[in-house]
Amino acid sequence: MNLPMRLVAIAALLHITPAVVLVKRPDAVQALLPGADAYFAREVHLSTPDAHRLHKAVDWSPEDGVLTFYVGRTGSAAVGALEFVRVDTPHGPLEVAVGFTPQGTVRGVLVTRATVEMKPWVLEAVGAGLTNHYRQLKPGDAPNGAAAIAGQAGDLAEYIAGEVDKGVARALAAYGGFYRGSA
Amino acid sequence: MLYDLRHADTRIKWLVTCLLATLGLSYVFGALMVSLYAGFTPRGVAATYRGREMSMPMPPETTMVLEHPMSVAEFAKPEIHTVDANLLIQDTHVHVPMYGMIAAALSLVVVGLSLERRWALGLITVLFAAPWLDFAGMWLTKFASPHFAIVTLVGGWAMGLGYLVVAALAVQQMWFSRERS
Repeated sequence: MNLPMRLVAIAALLHITPAVVLVKRPDAVQALLPGADAYFAREVHLSTPDAHRLHKAVDWSPEDGVLTFYVGRTGSAAVGALEFVRVDTPHGPLEVAVGFTPQGTVRGVLVTRATVEMKPWVLEAVGAGLTNHYRQLKPGDAPNGAAAIAGQAGDLAEYIAGEVDKGVARALAAYGGFYRGSA
Repeated sequence: MLYDLRHADTRIKWLVTCLLATLGLSYVFGALMVSLYAGFTPRGVAATYRGREMSMPMPPETTMVLEHPMSVAEFAKPEIHTVDANLLIQDTHVHVPMYGMIAAALSLVVVGLSLERRWALGLITVLFAAPWLDFAGMWLTKFASPHFAIVTLVGGWAMGLGYLVVAALAVQQMWFSRERS
C-alpha cells in the first residue's frame, strides 16, 4: 500500500462509526442451517503451511489461526455447515455468514454485522439482490456479487458488495480447503 | 496560605464546582462504559485484556480439528470485547495524558482545601497513582497473568473514590463550612 493510501486508511480508521447488528447470530444460524436440532462448533487449528496456503489464496488469515465451522445436524442427518467471516474495510468491520449444504454448495449468505455508516449501503446491496448471486457457488468458484448488481444499485452499495464478495471468497476457500467429514 | 478555597472569590468557587460537576459526569459515563465492555469483576477484566485463552498457544505441526456441541443460546452470547496489544497502546496513549490532567486538576483543588499536609499529600498521591494502577493492571493482565486484573479494578475504584473524596470535601468547605467567607 503506498503512502497516500495509508494516510487515507488511517484517516478513515479514525472515524469508524459504531457497529450495528443486521442479523442476530441465532437468526442467521436458523436461516442457514434450517431444521437443524443439534449444533457443533468445529475448530480447525491451522498449521503454519496451511495458514500460509489460505493466506496466499484469499489474502486472509483467520483470527488466532483458527477456522470455526458451525455444523448443523438433525438426528444423524447432516444439515450443513456455516461460517462467520469478518472483513475489515476502511469503514470498519463487516461480518458475513455463509451457509453450506451437505453437498458443499452455498445455501445462503447473510450480512450479519456492519457499521452505522455502512448499513445503508449493505441494505441497498441486499435489496438489489446481492446475496441471491452467491447461491450454489462451490469451492473454486469466484463470487462476483458486486458485478452482478452493477447498474441496479449505487456506487457505495456496489463497493460494499465487493467487500461481501471478499467474505464469501474467504468462506469458500476455507470450506474447500479445510472442511472435512459429514455435514 | 493565600490559596484557600474556603475564602476564595465566589467566581473561583463556582469554577471549581463546575469543574467537579463536569468531571463527575464524565466519571459516571466512564463507569457505564466500563460496565458495557470489561465489567467490574476480575474475570471480566481478565477476559477483556488477556483475550481468548488459546487451547493451542502455537500453531500445530499439522492442522488439527476439535469439535464440541453448542446450543442455539450460545450463538446469542454477547461476544467478549477484547483489547489487543495495539489497541492497548492506543488506549494508553490517549487515556494516560487525560488522566494526568484530571489528576492535576483535582490536585489543584486539594491544595486549596483545608487539610493536614500529610492528608493532602496522600490524596494527591492517590489521584495520580490510580491511573497508573489502572493501566499497569491492563498491561500486566495482558502479558504477565490474568490475576493482575485486580490491579486494574483497584486503580479504577481508587480513581472514583479519590474524585468523590475531593468533590465532597471541596463542596463542603466552599459552600457549607462555617469558616467560609
